Amino acid sequence: MSEIRNYTLNFGPQHPAAHGVLRLVLEMDGEIIERADPHIGLLHRATEKLAESKHYIQSLPYMDRLDYVSMMCNEHAYVMTIEKMLGLQVPVRAQYIRVMFDEITRVLNHLMWLGAHALDVGAMTVFLYAFREREDLMDCYEAVSGARLHAAYYRPGGVYRDLPAQMPKFKGASKWHDESEIAALNENRQGSLLDFIEDFTNRFPGYIDEYETLLTDNRIWKQRLVNIGIMSPERALQMGLTGPMLRGSGIAWDLRKKQPYAVYDQLDFDIPIGTNGDSYDRYLVRIEELRQSNRLIRQCVDWLRQNPGPVIAADHKVTPPPRTEMKEGMESLIHHFKLASEGFSLPAGEAYAAVEHPKGEFGIYMVSDGANKPYRMKIRAPGFAHLASLNEMVRGHMLADVVAVIGTQDIVFGEIDR
Amino acid sequence: MVNIEINGKPVAAREGSMLLEAADEAGITIPRFCYHSKLSIAASCRMCLVEVEKVPKPLPACATPVSEGMKAYTRSPRAIAAQRSVMEFLLINHPLDCPICDQGGECELQEMALGYGNDVSRYAEAKRVVHSPDLGPLIATDMSRCIHCTRCVRFGEEIGGMMELGAPGRGEHMHIATYMEHSVDSELSGNVVDLCPVGALTSKPYRYSARPWELQSHHTVSPHDCVGTNIRLDSRSGRAMRVVARDNEAVNECWIADRDRFSYTALEHEDRLRKPQIKRDGVWQECDWDTALTTAVEGLKQFAADQLGALAAYGATNEEHFLLQRLMRGIGSANIDHRLRQQDFRDQNEQGPYPALGQPIAALEQNDAVLLVGSNIRKEQPLLAQRLRKAVRGGARVMAINPVDYAMAFTLAEKRIALDLVSELLAVAKALLEGSSEAVPQWLTTAIVGVAVEESHRAIAGTLRAGKQASVLLGAGAQGHPAAAELRAVANLIASLSGAHIGILAEGGNAAGAALAGCLPHRGAGCQASDGIGLDWKAMFAAKLPGYLLLGVEPEYDCIDSAAALQAMQEARFVVAINSYASVAMRDYADVLLPAATFAETAGSLVNTEGQWQGFNGAATAPGEARPAWKILRVLGNLFDINGFEQNSAEEVRAELEAACAQLPAAPAAWQPKAMSRLPAGLLRIADVPIYAVDAMVRRAAPLQTTADADLWQIRLNSVTAEKAGFSSVVEARLIQGAGEVVLPLLIDERLPDNAVYLPAGLSATVGLGGGFAAVELTHA
Amino acid sequence: MNLFSILKSLTLKELRGGLAVTGRYLFRKKFTVQYPEERAPMSPRFRGLHAQRRYPNGEERCIACKLCEVVCPAMAITIESAQREDGTRRTTRYDIDLTKCIFCGFCEEACPVDAIVETRIYEYHGECRDDLLMTKEKLLAVGDKYEAQIAADRTADAPYR
Repeated sequence: MSEIRNYTLNFGPQHPAAHGVLRLVLEMDGEIIERADPHIGLLHRATEKLAESKHYIQSLPYMDRLDYVSMMCNEHAYVMTIEKMLGLQVPVRAQYIRVMFDEITRVLNHLMWLGAHALDVGAMTVFLYAFREREDLMDCYEAVSGARLHAAYYRPGGVYRDLPAQMPKFKGASKWHDESEIAALNENRQGSLLDFIEDFTNRFPGYIDEYETLLTDNRIWKQRLVNIGIMSPERALQMGLTGPMLRGSGIAWDLRKKQPYAVYDQLDFDIPIGTNGDSYDRYLVRIEELRQSNRLIRQCVDWLRQNPGPVIAADHKVTPPPRTEMKEGMESLIHHFKLASEGFSLPAGEAYAAVEHPKGEFGIYMVSDGANKPYRMKIRAPGFAHLASLNEMVRGHMLADVVAVIGTQDIVFGEIDR
Repeated sequence: MVNIEINGKPVAAREGSMLLEAADEAGITIPRFCYHSKLSIAASCRMCLVEVEKVPKPLPACATPVSEGMKAYTRSPRAIAAQRSVMEFLLINHPLDCPICDQGGECELQEMALGYGNDVSRYAEAKRVVHSPDLGPLIATDMSRCIHCTRCVRFGEEIGGMMELGAPGRGEHMHIATYMEHSVDSELSGNVVDLCPVGALTSKPYRYSARPWELQSHHTVSPHDCVGTNIRLDSRSGRAMRVVARDNEAVNECWIADRDRFSYTALEHEDRLRKPQIKRDGVWQECDWDTALTTAVEGLKQFAADQLGALAAYGATNEEHFLLQRLMRGIGSANIDHRLRQQDFRDQNEQGPYPALGQPIAALEQNDAVLLVGSNIRKEQPLLAQRLRKAVRGGARVMAINPVDYAMAFTLAEKRIALDLVSELLAVAKALLEGSSEAVPQWLTTAIVGVAVEESHRAIAGTLRAGKQASVLLGAGAQGHPAAAELRAVANLIASLSGAHIGILAEGGNAAGAALAGCLPHRGAGCQASDGIGLDWKAMFAAKLPGYLLLGVEPEYDCIDSAAALQAMQEARFVVAINSYASVAMRDYADVLLPAATFAETAGSLVNTEGQWQGFNGAATAPGEARPAWKILRVLGNLFDINGFEQNSAEEVRAELEAACAQLPAAPAAWQPKAMSRLPAGLLRIADVPIYAVDAMVRRAAPLQTTADADLWQIRLNSVTAEKAGFSSVVEARLIQGAGEVVLPLLIDERLPDNAVYLPAGLSATVGLGGGFAAVELTHA
Repeated sequence: MNLFSILKSLTLKELRGGLAVTGRYLFRKKFTVQYPEERAPMSPRFRGLHAQRRYPNGEERCIACKLCEVVCPAMAITIESAQREDGTRRTTRYDIDLTKCIFCGFCEEACPVDAIVETRIYEYHGECRDDLLMTKEKLLAVGDKYEAQIAADRTADAPYR
């Protein structure tokens, strides 16, 4: 009789279900996972170290590139830390814009997760539908910031520009679409960005219903998710899990409620939690979060419509002056020049600010020695803690369940490797 | 000490100091524009307004003397409001130039506006426009940007001794201008660029070429005069972009001379050697280092060791001087010299270890009587002249015995203008001996017989003797004099008779280092006696040596006797030049050109006139394949198979040299002249080295060469001499000296003594002419 | 397991529900945009390929203030400046390395004279790295070609900046 040994399997980094560049070394007993050892670092770009040699403003675009499916939420944590250290008051309108785009980002992220998760597990269609909705939301991103993904839109003190009064439109008939069809495509683009978003919020619950029709009761989906990757509430806390990973285990922890930032305390929304802590519960939690985010976006749209005003603090020692002033006033020109060339300085000290990122608690810890560059910046990425729990979650499961667990963890390597 | 309180913090301030100074010492920042620690207080910008308890209005901290129990608040609401208002006023007329202004990024106005000003402008009316005068080739002006701090005006009056800048007009009409529309001709003018808090006065050669944030600063030392000026060379991706002053209270305070500031412009001159070259059949070929070095070694090896001579530049680093002499002595030749601007070496064995000022540079300010002998100190060592100027402002009496009535930046208490410096000094010595019973050497007693003593000699003698701290300083004119040995002997005696310090204002950048490194025929490193006394440059040229190794020198420019140097080089059979630049003549006589890095591109050290060693590292990247000269010498040593060439860094070379200099021998007994030498009769040429012709680099610095100080291409005579020789109304004349001759415009210059013709050395026009204090003939062109 | 759920399971209710969703889409109008014949809408704020602009009289706008160079987080811009014969401050070199650029738009924000802008162009390619180094000439050429669109976009966005 030959000796029976565990064997090790190398999963990724070149695997479609590895969500980027995850490399897992799996120790297998037949098809049962004995141990999963995630290897990280393949997408390491030294964001934290780079930040030490850049002005505060210059690091902002790099925040987009951490969790590159929840761009503006990353930015939010970063600017919040700076604002906390400066004691800078952010105009309320800017806070509403931020909350609105945070929730748009959450929808973007969850749609990405939903599509990829379903695809990993074997359902193709949801992926296509999710990307259809993402397209609309990325149009919103582009309309405010000029970029579909890496927005660089939030600034310490507010946001760069106010919401545009016009939405860009489809142009010109082609052999695929005639004038009337183009007009139909442009129907919800006649008004402002807010009108477009409102239209989206009207349509979106219907779309969520469609996803649920496709997945929630689907027997294959349930077979693949129910009782897979169970995380007990105690272990989840011990492992430092946050976001849907924690709430799926039944712990109602959400920074938007527990440590309200921006204007979340003014808004009405609920926190869904799971009961079993398995992948299916986490799926349900995220689906419900989509609905809650839609609610939040809707409330922000209503508020923003009625309350015009400044979107960035008027303290030009920190925020660049408007361009017309810069071209006419000496003070403004000097401040513009100095902010571009040297940036601003933070008082010596340290601060931590975190947001409820779609994946969990995303925080920035900043240490300043009083200069115009951070002395040290630490990024608290939720995915890092989640990935650390992978071993526990897959132990004893089958090889195919690893893919489902990676999906349920919503891994993005931009933030894990930074 | 006065006890005051600033922002609630108890501060002990010096009595009579200003509030701002007390705050600075306590580390409390008060914004300011017009205040500068080295200049008088103007209190014109009002930026430093602070609130003082029991005073109804905010006070300018820079002009408020501290008083016991004073309580000042620099950041109280009233102080902040006052500072904001001042800032707003200053910005009202400031043009929106930041994006095109060279000061942008290091502008005090920007910084103060950011730190203490409003962030929004309330001013919407038209701004004032001010005419920008042309201040010459070094300083660019944009006077609309001026905020009237008058630092430049005060610098001119108090430090530079240039009264060219002023602030005519009042109120809205006030502006900084030259009183008459002409350029600023001061050897220190560049300092106003550093002083100007805004972009009104900027450097013209640097104009628009870089931003401060792109520059990497390197601390280095200027090799153009014996002060050892501390400079900061800013480079951008290896290219030197500018030079600014670096503070060193003991050496240059916060000033530097224009020569130090703008010489970097020569780093990319077209004469710059970029690749090693060898001459084959009269044609220059670029080659690799191996070929060039082997060719050089083979070429030098064809002669007996004592047939080789080495000449070094004054400004070469200690390391280079040290390795050069080690190489030559290793080969077996002691024919090494760097003293190319001297012609009298009779007392070389009796001289001190190195030409020394004999006192710290900073102590010059404390002198109350100074006698300059043969020194155009203002142009030769501008920063030492600045120290003397300070002394004069403090009441010191500075006197001069000079061949030319050089324009000083201060009034000379006494002056004797004559060609025969020896007789003048003897007269002073005689005056000192009048009514004194001190024992003097026999030779002096003999020499002063028949010397006429005039009132001014007695005044000089009396002042020197009366001075609590007095100095006799020998300048380049004295050291380059044909009777320099006698001059030194007499000056030494004058100093000892009057109780004054004797000091030498050494020529070149590193004469002290060269002497310590043993770059001399009679002494090795650390002034150890040389085994076998070699030839000085005069003897080398006279001996018609066939092989030469040149280190950083262009003998036809750098040697005081250009005619002899040129002839010697042309007649030599093999000349190897380690140099950064190649002159036209050098391309003719040299056989191998080894491209060397300049001081800006190499590591090394310099010894300044007070004996201070100052090391530096390369600040820019040498062009092409140019290498630091110490490395070239090190490899040459290896190729000659000589021991002692294993160093891997300039620091190792320096350590060896420092070890050799650890124990310097005591000063030997004084040299005794036998008889006083006499100057030849007839017209004599005065050939000093002008400020912008001191070394190969300065001679190629284009902006410096277009200044008024470089405008010396004339034959100058005083009106009496001109009349006597029949040249009063001549526009051009031909000067004949030995085999050389030159035709140049003639200029009447009353600063000259009779029978003197002034035509400086070191100009391309005067290459091929003989040395100074030698007979010349003047004919019609 | 009650009877109802057994029935539900046996009748494949949830699978048929899903198929109904996809079936409905099968007969609906397609929302796919047929690139490149069709384009998705584009905001005037779009941050694409860079361009250097000129004034209407043909003079280049850039004054070599180097604010874009210093604010660029990726250090993608290299500028060398000098005094032109007419005494003005001008660039002698203005390179943007598109392989470094992160298209954050800070250069445009920093520019005091609206010289460097990011255009709507996103379809460009290079066959070697050199092609992706935008020199001053290339940037000015882009600016000259698309000036009308660039100016219109700046005007549209001017109230917000």
